[in-house]
Amino acid sequence: MNNTAKSTGLTSMLTRLRGTNNEGILAGTLIVLVLAMGLVNPDFWSVATAFGIARSSMVDIVFALGVLMVIITRQIDVSFPVVGIFAAYSTVVLVDSMDTAFGAIPTFLVAGGIGTVLGLVNGAIIARLQLPALIITLGTVGIFRGGLLTYVGSKYIGNLPDALNDLSRTDLFVVTQGGSTTRLHVFIVPVVLLCIAVSLFLNRTIWGRGLYAIGGDIESARRAGLSVPRIQLTLYASVGLLAGIAGMMYVTLARTANPHEFAGTELDIIAAVVLGGASILGGRGSVVGTVLGVVLIAVIRNSLLLMGVPSTWQRAAVGILLILGITAQMLGSRRRARPGREPDVDAAAPTSDTTSEVTR
Amino acid sequence: MNRTLDARFGSGVARGVAWVQRERGIARLIALSAAVVLIFSLLRPEYYLSMTNFQTIGLALPEIGLLSLAAMISFISGGIDLSVVSTGVLSSLTVAYVFRGLGAEEMTGGSAAGVMLLALVAAVLMGALAGAFNGFLVSVVGITPILATLGTMTLYNGLAIVVTQGEAIYGMPDVFLELGNGTVGSIPISLIVLLVVGVVLAVVVNRTALGTRIRLVGANPTASRFSGINNRHVLMLTYMTSGVLAGVAGILMASRAASASADYGSSYLLLAITIAILGGTNPNGGFGTVFGVMLATLTLQLVSSGFNIMRLTAFEYTIAQGVVLIAVIVADAAGDRRRSRKAAVKAAPHVAAPVVPAS
Repeated sequence: MNNTAKSTGLTSMLTRLRGTNNEGILAGTLIVLVLAMGLVNPDFWSVATAFGIARSSMVDIVFALGVLMVIITRQIDVSFPVVGIFAAYSTVVLVDSMDTAFGAIPTFLVAGGIGTVLGLVNGAIIARLQLPALIITLGTVGIFRGGLLTYVGSKYIGNLPDALNDLSRTDLFVVTQGGSTTRLHVFIVPVVLLCIAVSLFLNRTIWGRGLYAIGGDIESARRAGLSVPRIQLTLYASVGLLAGIAGMMYVTLARTANPHEFAGTELDIIAAVVLGGASILGGRGSVVGTVLGVVLIAVIRNSLLLMGVPSTWQRAAVGILLILGITAQMLGSRRRARPGREPDVDAAAPTSDTTSEVTR
Repeated sequence: MNRTLDARFGSGVARGVAWVQRERGIARLIALSAAVVLIFSLLRPEYYLSMTNFQTIGLALPEIGLLSLAAMISFISGGIDLSVVSTGVLSSLTVAYVFRGLGAEEMTGGSAAGVMLLALVAAVLMGALAGAFNGFLVSVVGITPILATLGTMTLYNGLAIVVTQGEAIYGMPDVFLELGNGTVGSIPISLIVLLVVGVVLAVVVNRTALGTRIRLVGANPTASRFSGINNRHVLMLTYMTSGVLAGVAGILMASRAASASADYGSSYLLLAITIAILGGTNPNGGFGTVFGVMLATLTLQLVSSGFNIMRLTAFEYTIAQGVVLIAVIVADAAGDRRRSRKAAVKAAPHVAAPVVPAS
């Protein structure tokens, strides 16, 4: 980060390397961390670690894609974990209650569908009344969680339908290294596909550019002829869809369905997305940055374990790193940012940057 | 009608309308509480209208009330404080460790009172310190409040886990436990604490220069800077106030539970924010009243105790919380929209039907 600021001749090249949302810095941090960990403990540089990190970040990445889209529009949705577990748990209950066998893909479709419906509820209220998503989703969190536990079920389900059980043991790669086998779960394929899809949507469609426009300045977006309510409605529906898929993935990987799952994880995912360069002031953020943010946090957790940091220190360490990461971002973009929320002054600058990102 | 007279009359009406607008939220909360009491009283009069029930409500209310006030003050300044609960937990741990460190469990009389005073001061200072760090990140470093306090929430929570190793800390003297569980006459002591803190906070928010500055910074930070207000200083004090309030809440937590642990009150954060907003606080800054937030706390506690008596589950109470929050917000938004449409009509009378001033 320091050499970026100090060197003069290579500035333009380095600026490009740094990326519009500091993805470069993030990638650099990640590489340095991985190299350092490898030097401290050679065990770190192994296929097992890579697969482990991939497995532990897959679900978070799918959630984070939804969160990213919401944050780009300068809103915060805290209901996605509840939507995820609601969709997954109800699907498992539904499939269990049916006599006919249900394939894995239809199961995911059902979960995605339930997620979409819940997302539509959020979206309808937000789009109709133009109210802050944070407040509305705080309310729907209560309704969804309470509804799930009261009307669908509150019991832990230990054995999943056969199709999901089989899926949970399906691996893309199995690598045998020094006697121990490590596996990369097949879910990596849909996760990568979803990342590509969201990235294309964000950068190549009017809808995606509309999200950036709304985040930059909602009034300008309106005057530019975008149908803000329609975009918001479809946005929250897609967030619900992604959350439903993520929840189902989680349940499949865990091989259990626990309706109390995910309580309090919303802020962790939001933190990862913001660490990935998405601005809480709206109008900026990218899929690459988001994935890097999630992976960075997973690597940090993993490294702390490997370095023998007691597990009680984990949360404090993540907190410290989060504060340091955000502070570094803040100092890096000092000119754009001011204390407190001053959206009207600040929001104008990022939009111009993000447009250059599209044409890149 | 004479034009100036008309204008004067109009401004009088406007002032009246503004007053109703301001107090409308409060009026609605009072109506809501009354309706809740009425419904549950009709359903289960023998339990709901009992002294025990109201005492239970009085004992459960102060912690969450203080946390909601802490959330409110940062909302008024245009920010948000997600670390209120973890700050409270740090304070409750401080109390527990002071007592344990000085072997105060068996103490009585003067020495117990001395140690207790020390523990309370330490807990409040811990809250102020945690708040000051939030204030530093928000005002000096310039991090958006939601992110700064998200980070410190994780940090404080993590520190609590490190210090306690995940275990609950016991060993507090009886005299301290009275604070959270005892009553004077039939009024819970902790409720008195909440009322005293609430009055002090109301005076600070409404009657002091600091309160006005906090509201101004929240309403429009650029304007407040140009009018000579030191935004940094104001934000620092805002988050310290929030920390102190959370600290007092932490003291009550420790006293009521007779122990302190890192995971205490984890469900309180979203509830505190919900109550602050339900109490009419504008999450975008500039407005919020202590009375409104206290009333919102009471309303939700009345619902909660009614649900308990009806043997409804905690899950159903969660649904009720969400429904109440969304209903109030939607009603507010619908009302605002109707009023702004009326205002638009008034501003351009030649477009629409003539205005009848005597409405």
